[in-house]
Amino acid sequence: MEKAKHAHPNYIGIFFFLAALTAVELGVAFLPWPKMVLILLLIFLAIWKAALVALYYMHLRYEPNRLRLLAIAPLPLAVILVVAVTREFRW
Amino acid sequence: MAHATAMLDDDMMAPPRGYEQGMGVYNEKLGMWVFLGSEVMFFTALIGAYIILRVAHPDAWKPPGEVLNVPLTAINTFLLICSSVTMVKAFAAIQDGNLAGLKRWLIATVLIGAGFVGVQVFEYMHLMSVGFVPSEGLYGSTFYTMTGFHGFHVTVGVICMIYVTWRAFRGKYSAADHRGVEVVGLYWHFVDLVWIILFTIVYLI
Amino acid sequence: MATITAPTAGHIATGEAHAHEMSFLRKYIFSTDHKIIGIQFLIMSLVFLLVGGLLAMVIRWQLGFPGQAMPGGGVLPDTMAPDGIVLPEFYNALVTMHGTFMVFFAIMPLLVGVFGNYLIPLKIGAPDMAFPRINMASFWIAVPAGIMMIAGFVVEGGHAAAGWTAYAPLSERADLTGVSMGQILWCISLIILGLSSILGSFNYITTVINLRAPGMHWFRLPLSIWALFVTAILVLLAMPILSGAIIMLLFDQTLGTHFFGPAQGGQPLLWQHLFWFFGHPEVYILILPAMGFASDIIANGSRKPVFGYASMVFAILAIAVLGWGVWGHHMFMSGMNPTLGTSFMISTMLIAVPSAIKVFNWLGTIWGGSVRFHVPMLHAVAFVSMFIIGGLSGIFMASTPVDIYIHDTYFIVAHLHYVLFGGSLFAIFAAISYWYPKMFGRMMNPFWAKVHFVITFIAYNGVFFPMHQLGLQGHMRRIFDPNEYEFLQHLQGINTFISISAFVLFAAQFIFAINFIASWFVGAKAPDNPWDDNGLEWTVASPPPHGNFATIPRVFRGPYEYSSPLVEEDFLPQNRELPPQPAASAAHT
Repeated sequence: MEKAKHAHPNYIGIFFFLAALTAVELGVAFLPWPKMVLILLLIFLAIWKAALVALYYMHLRYEPNRLRLLAIAPLPLAVILVVAVTREFRW
Repeated sequence: MAHATAMLDDDMMAPPRGYEQGMGVYNEKLGMWVFLGSEVMFFTALIGAYIILRVAHPDAWKPPGEVLNVPLTAINTFLLICSSVTMVKAFAAIQDGNLAGLKRWLIATVLIGAGFVGVQVFEYMHLMSVGFVPSEGLYGSTFYTMTGFHGFHVTVGVICMIYVTWRAFRGKYSAADHRGVEVVGLYWHFVDLVWIILFTIVYLI
Repeated sequence: MATITAPTAGHIATGEAHAHEMSFLRKYIFSTDHKIIGIQFLIMSLVFLLVGGLLAMVIRWQLGFPGQAMPGGGVLPDTMAPDGIVLPEFYNALVTMHGTFMVFFAIMPLLVGVFGNYLIPLKIGAPDMAFPRINMASFWIAVPAGIMMIAGFVVEGGHAAAGWTAYAPLSERADLTGVSMGQILWCISLIILGLSSILGSFNYITTVINLRAPGMHWFRLPLSIWALFVTAILVLLAMPILSGAIIMLLFDQTLGTHFFGPAQGGQPLLWQHLFWFFGHPEVYILILPAMGFASDIIANGSRKPVFGYASMVFAILAIAVLGWGVWGHHMFMSGMNPTLGTSFMISTMLIAVPSAIKVFNWLGTIWGGSVRFHVPMLHAVAFVSMFIIGGLSGIFMASTPVDIYIHDTYFIVAHLHYVLFGGSLFAIFAAISYWYPKMFGRMMNPFWAKVHFVITFIAYNGVFFPMHQLGLQGHMRRIFDPNEYEFLQHLQGINTFISISAFVLFAAQFIFAINFIASWFVGAKAPDNPWDDNGLEWTVASPPPHGNFATIPRVFRGPYEYSSPLVEEDFLPQNRELPPQPAASAAHT
């Protein structure tokens, strides 16, 4: 598959979105809400930012499906490790 | 072949010609993505250990902002994201054959990247001077290990970036073949991506 | 890394036609040719196999003849064995370093570094690896790692002595063990070796995905390549976990961090979880390539296609995937969450299934074949039978209640040696004797190879089978003097028998070593295809030229078309084009 001659994604637009999300994170972190809610929100925001970088700056959006699958393949392992071992401390 | 020379009509940025259908991208790009898989697992070990230890012993941590300088690091985060933008602008430039643009954006990336490392070093020095050191309980242990290895990866990235910039100045890249730029870019964005996660879970939680 | 030049697709590798004359240094020392690098790994790994074997001999001396002066022991310093009598502290270092050298510097590089490098480009029809210079780096990074690991023997405090598993907090308590520099060197060495492995693995993965010759569909790949490819993925994803864990251990020792030390909230169990999360995929790394070689060799020796090729592939994939979910079975006695323990018991029982499928398929391959008992076939069949024994003992361990009794006894030692020696090492002997002609252009002497096989097989079982009994009688592992325990004293006879068998086993390896070295110089010249095999490597000279193939081969069928009705010979190479067949002929792949 040749490199698609698509127009460049709007890199600057993505940048402003990333900056905005970072600002939201900063705001959220110091809100007087229950800790668990804050954690979930912040993780969600971080994942959103990471996805933007991966999809647009790393061009995963435009790569073959197989490559996208390869890129996310290690993630389930990370989840298994952390979920299983935290069970060790939360019987 | 150890010293393959390109045939004139070879598109170096297409998948290898004359072979069975593979991943659909050229070797170096595939190689970098595969390598990044190992980096994901490496940071999984460090970040995973942090999460596990924090779940086990939450009292060892202070609330966000009490020990660590959140505003300074937020600016540093913003800087690193900027460097991702300059990196991708460099890539876009050479995709369009704009050599001057490539050089400019690469230099910007190197400078901002080095700046990030500089701010981190400054942050470390300050923290250590007030007694927050690696041996300062679980908090210190995990903080320095995670951010230290991330910083190490950024430093390696800056060195590679300098090499790529030097090659750019020697005219080694073109619209037809700029594999080195794309591949170092992928590494750089990955390092940014890890920081996005780290900043959130180390400084804000 | 930014600008490595890949072998260009359209470029035709013309082997000898490559004009430039390379210096000896560039051709044989700092070579980027995967075949040379494979042989470099071979020499390095065999040296470390010898080191690991020597360490085992000292262990067996102590257990077989406790408290007695070892012949030749006078050369060892007083910190290790004054008057040739092994000290308990040295014994702990012995068992630690035997495991460390065998796992990381012998078996892993033999399977992955040697045959991954040598076979992958040849068997898929590529001129070399995707990244030849990174390949060279991978070897030359492994060398200092090995030197560093040896250096640990001569530092103050002695070598690492907390087991090859380096459990915390013992491994980080120099104040208790007296070992400081040794453990630090162990850590740094393995971090460097990990880097070497990771560099190798992403090279192999990229090569297999992107550089298969036209017609070499995924389901026409030899099982050795499937196994090496999947193993490379396991290496890629598991080694970094070990690196991370070791870094934390190193920081605990040197920077005063508290990851694993309980005093300030550190968690010893965290070390075990991290280590075994790496450790279990690691043992599949140590067996999968062996299974792949066995498949290739058994099909060849039986003159029959592999029985159930597709299920073999799925079994490899299943083992690799499920292998990430079983690590806790090494920790049943650690005090971990019992519910977690139960889930690990179930997943461990499950993973026996794909291994069993493979065993039945090997048996099905041999069944009804016109079997040629060449030396590689002997070793390959021994592999299958020893692996069955090792696998069966594994089922006992998988059951948590049973493991409560046999954990950390010689039953485990028996199991691990049946799968790693009976399994992996016999497969390595099979692979070396099989591909030696291709690598060196000479045949190994078959008579002495068979003598080596027979003595090794008998002595090996003499060493490890009785260990099952020792373990069931409660004989713990890693202990310096079982006679300290009254309930073990009656087992001394078995220990002595095992030790004598071990000395015979070790001595027999010299037959192999001499055969290996002598044949290199005076062995019979090897033809291109001494085994009548279908793989692409047998279509080129022994040894193959630089660049492997004059033109990239075209592949028409899978690798196991033995005794095909389409041709007179009992083998049909993958790249041989047949005239168009009438409609009634069997479809290939």
